[in-house]
Amino acid sequence: MNVIVKSKLAGLILAFSIIFFGLESSYSILLFLFIMLSIGIPHGSVDHIIAFINPKARKFESKLTFYVVYLSLIVFNIILWVISPFLGLLVFLIVSCYHFGETQVIGYNPTENKTLNFVIGANILLSLFLNNIIELQEILYILPQFASLDLSGFDSVLYLLISVAILMLSIVNFEIKRKVPLYAEITILYMVFFHTDLLTSFALYFGFCHSLPMLMLEFKEFKTDSFIKFYLKTLPFTILSIIFGFLLYQFNNDLLTSDNLILFVFIIISSLTLPHVFIMKDFVKDK
Amino acid sequence: MEMLNFILAGTIEPGDFTGFTFFIGSVSMLAATVWFLMQHGQVDKKFKDSMLVAALITGIAAVHYFYMREQWVAGLGSPTELRYIDWILTVPLMVVEFALLTGVGMRKLFWLSVVMLVTGYFGESGVTGVGNAAIWGGVSGAAYFWMAYEVGCLSLFGGPSGAVGNALTGGSGKIPEAGRMLQWFVLVGWAIYPLGYMAGTDGWYNFVAIDEGAMNIIYNVGDAINKIGFGMAVWYAAK
Repeated sequence: MNVIVKSKLAGLILAFSIIFFGLESSYSILLFLFIMLSIGIPHGSVDHIIAFINPKARKFESKLTFYVVYLSLIVFNIILWVISPFLGLLVFLIVSCYHFGETQVIGYNPTENKTLNFVIGANILLSLFLNNIIELQEILYILPQFASLDLSGFDSVLYLLISVAILMLSIVNFEIKRKVPLYAEITILYMVFFHTDLLTSFALYFGFCHSLPMLMLEFKEFKTDSFIKFYLKTLPFTILSIIFGFLLYQFNNDLLTSDNLILFVFIIISSLTLPHVFIMKDFVKDK
Repeated sequence: MEMLNFILAGTIEPGDFTGFTFFIGSVSMLAATVWFLMQHGQVDKKFKDSMLVAALITGIAAVHYFYMREQWVAGLGSPTELRYIDWILTVPLMVVEFALLTGVGMRKLFWLSVVMLVTGYFGESGVTGVGNAAIWGGVSGAAYFWMAYEVGCLSLFGGPSGAVGNALTGGSGKIPEAGRMLQWFVLVGWAIYPLGYMAGTDGWYNFVAIDEGAMNIIYNVGDAINKIGFGMAVWYAAK
């Protein structure tokens, strides 16, 4: 069994435990933060090493160039969120669709088909959002046109049905080497999205279907003796990211955070994601 | 959706036969999942995906049957919503088994199952406000019958067959025999779904109406036979 399957299996067991035993929604934020801090952020915390050891990586003249480009993208993303939350969200969604899809198809199809990567990622995010749409409306109060939509007349089954129907149509219309296992895995994800709240759904997906598999692939690429040694290498930038988030929260303006901590966390994630996507795009080329 | 905790669910009252079939449904699906997963390691490589899908079908159903049992035991009425969630996730996976065994027809069967599920849901929920249950049910039923034709159900009686049915007949090893079992499941087993639809909605077929408990018993028994039986037929071809 390869590392990707093992990672996803770990997530599935956790997801089933949550579904079976029930997790009060008040604990979702704790689960979310725990997974983000222990797996989510660390998987992007070795980008500065990956960018130089991966033979297929785009070439940076020096470490300094790398850091300037990397940090500029983070700053650009934050400015975008401040100037226009709508644009900030749009960029995050487009970039995430591609990035999540790219990781998701590993093991089922080569990652070269960019349209497929985007469509698969879009399907996953669409289902995540549709199956938790009322919660999403509360979080995205910055988009009044969306937040004020009256969706109470539609029941949750309709959203699940829409997401499954779109997934089926997406899967049959693309050339995919292992269509059925990919479809089956995403079906399980949809079940988890339906039965858990938005934060738990996102944490489980992001942690165990995206971050942990990537973290394990990075570990293999590093050829370090033990996983602990590798994990320690992720800590400096993980801690820096947390400090960055904390400082941003302290010096925030009202537009950026207001009283919506979840939205703030998503802004941080989106800012860290933007430069990470380009590094990972090269990293997964032959995976 | 609201989290349920089936571990702490109430016990089934004596004489609650419907509740008992929910219980049997949940544990039999769980047992079948374990069985299919165990067999996954035993079968030839080309059938591994089929066995995994069979395990997923019963696994997803087990989760929902545990939920449904709790809803029923708690006196919250017929778990129609949970049933649809289960079907939306598992019916396409059952359809996929045909494509895995034959290598053909996935596109058409997926399209047909989308039409069958979407129109069935529209009819049962009335969410569109357009048409009535009988019309939507008619469209859903037509998709079901087309699917039955595609997978070769009519060939059981010497009739014509679609590409999937032909591929099943012309398959190697035990595939034709397993294919015939699957065709019977689609023809007879799946027929409980339109029957349940007619029992639960208004239309020219009101004479089919039965009480909630009886309808759930039919669904539970039918679901268990269909889902586990489907997997067993695939396992038969694979072993």
